[in-house]
Amino acid sequence: MRFIKLYGKCIKIAIAGALAYRLNFLLTTLLATILNALFPIVTILIYNAGASFPGWDFYEVLLIQGVFLLTSNLAYLMFDGVLWTTMQHVREGTFEVVLLKPLSPLTYLVSTTFTPEIFGGVIAGSVLFGFSLFFTGVSSFAAIGQFLLLFAGGFCLMAGLCLLMSATAFKWVDNGRIPEIYDSVMTFGKYPVTIFPQAVRGAASFVIPVAMIGFFPASALLDRVEIAAFFAVIPCVLFMLFGIWVYNKMIKLYEGVGG
Amino acid sequence: MTKIKQKLDTCMTVARVTVKEYLAYRSHMLVSLFVGPVYFAVQYFIWGAIYGDGGEIAGFEYTQMIRYFGITALIGYLTWGSADWNLSMLIRTGKFLTFALRPLHHRFFALSQKIGHRSLALFLEFIPCWLILMAVFKINLFPAHLGWFILSVLLASLIHFFIAYCIGLFSFWLVKTDGLRMAYWLFDSVFAGFLIPLVFFPKWMQFIQFFLPFQYTSYVPAMVFLGEYKLGGYELSLPAIVGVQALATLTMFVVSELMYRAAMKRFTAVGS
Repeated sequence: MRFIKLYGKCIKIAIAGALAYRLNFLLTTLLATILNALFPIVTILIYNAGASFPGWDFYEVLLIQGVFLLTSNLAYLMFDGVLWTTMQHVREGTFEVVLLKPLSPLTYLVSTTFTPEIFGGVIAGSVLFGFSLFFTGVSSFAAIGQFLLLFAGGFCLMAGLCLLMSATAFKWVDNGRIPEIYDSVMTFGKYPVTIFPQAVRGAASFVIPVAMIGFFPASALLDRVEIAAFFAVIPCVLFMLFGIWVYNKMIKLYEGVGG
Repeated sequence: MTKIKQKLDTCMTVARVTVKEYLAYRSHMLVSLFVGPVYFAVQYFIWGAIYGDGGEIAGFEYTQMIRYFGITALIGYLTWGSADWNLSMLIRTGKFLTFALRPLHHRFFALSQKIGHRSLALFLEFIPCWLILMAVFKINLFPAHLGWFILSVLLASLIHFFIAYCIGLFSFWLVKTDGLRMAYWLFDSVFAGFLIPLVFFPKWMQFIQFFLPFQYTSYVPAMVFLGEYKLGGYELSLPAIVGVQALATLTMFVVSELMYRAAMKRFTAVGS
């Protein structure tokens, strides 16, 4: 409860801070929206050329990508700042400032690094999600419940991935390419996993369940979800717990430079 | 002749220093050995599924498409640069003053830095990834005409540099160019042909690309690699398209020079 109150206050401060430079905030949000809106361009061009992902129609693929955008951007909104702030503190040797706060370092960082500029991605994701859902429809009322459960699983996975990225910054100092490593793996989650070979499909469903970021929740809405997808929620939650554990462990490896 | 030798010596020295500087961050470059093949694997699988039993899509056969994505990933390692960010930072922090006082054009210095940085990328990113893609995915990554391909990649790297330099120069007017750099990156990622070959776009959009710089940084060298160039309903021979690419590079050079001169008239600095 205390965390939620604190988090609410921090969000207000972050938005007020961003609005101090209104034009910059509007421009970056607008650009982020456009950038994210271009996300399905490859799918659009593929289907326009008369080709398709086998077994999936155009709007179904858009729905998968809309859910992917929404889940990933919601997670980035909350956790992306943790990576960059950790990286900066480690590089400059000022992480002590975080350690001295009367709060666990991770709670403090998650609370104070809310990134309003990522709203653009959430907006684009919501629009794409709503647009594709308008054409595909929802199969049943129960599908909404399944969707929410799997969506939460995807969010947990994204949170875990963001925290693992942030934890990497303690050892791999000032490497701005850390997100690329995770992003490359996440790319498998942007498409229907059924088009991948069996081994890749298994890995994307249960080892690093990136299918949960877009594919599984969208499949639930389309009534095409397999029972195995619900079991994949477990590794997603484990991923988040693992991310928290690794981040806290890595803090112990931090070497400060004094005052 | 002595002047050219002097310039070359300066270029080599700056490039050598840049290589030493970036060797300290070699692990950052080695990230590409994982990231490059993983991104490529996604393309490999999705296009494999799309083509299914074969056929042609937008004039590309499956093997051509896979080779296209393989080579665009590799070309990126040789053309990438951060001249825009570096120049922008120098202008914003006032450090550009030290360059304005040197008997060396900053653009030449920045280009020499890029030569050094990309030479390192050739050995740490391009060649290892080239070997990995060929060994793991069993694809043919040898160009149709080596000479034209090398020339096209060199021009692509140059035009990429001049564009980035122009964006950096905007800092003389805008101070912070983050938004502009993001906008450029957005257009470049779509219209350079990294995401998908440009022939997939509507015809009118393909035609416009002849007058924009984006295709010359990636799509053109990739098509030269494949040995045939087509866009907007036009098919050009390799010498013709490389000639157009050279013209575009020269145009960007002139634009950068004009912008530099205009910027110098605005430049003010204080203190040390």
